[in-house]
Amino acid sequence: MNKKLFFVALALLIFASPIFAQTSGADEVKKWVAITSGFSMAIASGLCGLAQAKAVASSAEAMARNPGASAAIRFALLLGLVLIESLALYTLVIIFAKLP
Amino acid sequence: MPEHEPWLTALFNDHLAGVANAVLSMAGLKTMERPWSTSLSMEILVAAIIVVLFAILRSQLSMDRPGKLQHSFEVIYDFLHKQSEESVGHDGPKYLSLFGSIFIFVLFCNLIGIIPTFESPTMFPEVPAGLAMLVFCYYNLMGIVANGVGRYLAHFAGPIWWMAPLMIPIELVSHMARPLSLTIRLFANMYAGERVTVVFLGLTYIIAPAVFMGLHVFVSFLQAYIFALMTMMYVGSAVAHEH
Repeated sequence: MNKKLFFVALALLIFASPIFAQTSGADEVKKWVAITSGFSMAIASGLCGLAQAKAVASSAEAMARNPGASAAIRFALLLGLVLIESLALYTLVIIFAKLP
Repeated sequence: MPEHEPWLTALFNDHLAGVANAVLSMAGLKTMERPWSTSLSMEILVAAIIVVLFAILRSQLSMDRPGKLQHSFEVIYDFLHKQSEESVGHDGPKYLSLFGSIFIFVLFCNLIGIIPTFESPTMFPEVPAGLAMLVFCYYNLMGIVANGVGRYLAHFAGPIWWMAPLMIPIELVSHMARPLSLTIRLFANMYAGERVTVVFLGLTYIIAPAVFMGLHVFVSFLQAYIFALMTMMYVGSAVAHEH
C-alpha cells in the first residue's frame, strides 16, 4: 500500500512541470537563495550531527573497553570530529559565497 | 560597503599609506586611497608579537632554573616533536621548524580576534589561502627533495602499474583538494565563530555570547592543531620511502 502511494505521489509530481517556465532573468533566481541556503545548511548540519554522534559513540565505547588506549582513541576521535565538521562548514562557505 | 576599520588598520592607513602604494606601484598594481587591509595589518601585528615573545624567551633560556615561559614552550615543543615523529616518521623533526611556525602563527592569528578591538587575520579568506598554498608548495618540494622528481611523480600512479590510468586522476584531484580543504576548514571555522558571537551579541547580552566566545577559543586551538597536523600528514605521505 505504501509502495503504491509512493509511486502515485511520484506520478503527481509531473504536474509540477510549470516550474520550468522561468520568468525574467537572474532576479527570480536570487530570491530563492535565502530559502535554499536555509534548507542546505539544515541538511548539512543534521547529517554532520549524525556522523559526529556515531564517531563519539564508538570512541566512548572503545575507551570504556580499553582504557589504556584512551590517548590514541582520543586523538582519532578529535581528528575525525574536525574533519566531519569541516564538511558541514563547506556548505556554510557556499552560502556566504552565493549570497546576492 | 564602507565598514568600520579597526583602529590598527586606520593607524596603518593614516601613516603608512605611501609605503603600501609604493610597493603596489612597483608590482604594477593600482594604488588605492587606503591600501592597508585589516588582514594585513593584523598579520603584521601577530608577527611582531611572536618575534617579541620569542626574543624574550630566548633571553630567558636557562638550563638550571627554567622559568614558566620556558616550561610552557618546552611543552609545546615536545608535543609538536612527538606528533611529527608519529606522522612523518623517524626524520619528522627535520621539518619541525615549518610545523612549529605554522602552529604558532595560526594559533596566535586565531586568538588575537578574541581581544575586543582586533580581528583574526584568519577570518579573511586570503590568509588561510596563503598558508595553504605555502603548505602545498612545501610538501611537494620536500617530496621531490626526499625522493627525486621521477620517483615522487611515480607515487601518483599508485602501487599497481596497470591501475595507473585510474589512479592518476584520482590522486591529482585529491592533491588539488588538499589546499582547498585546508583553506576552507580554517577560514570557515574562524568566520563562523565570529559570526555566531556577533549574532548572539545582537540578540542577548553577557551569557550566550560569552559561551560562544569560549567555544571560539577552544575551536581556535583545535583548528591551529589540525592545520599543523594536516601539514605533517601531507609531508609524511610525500617523503615516505617505500621499503
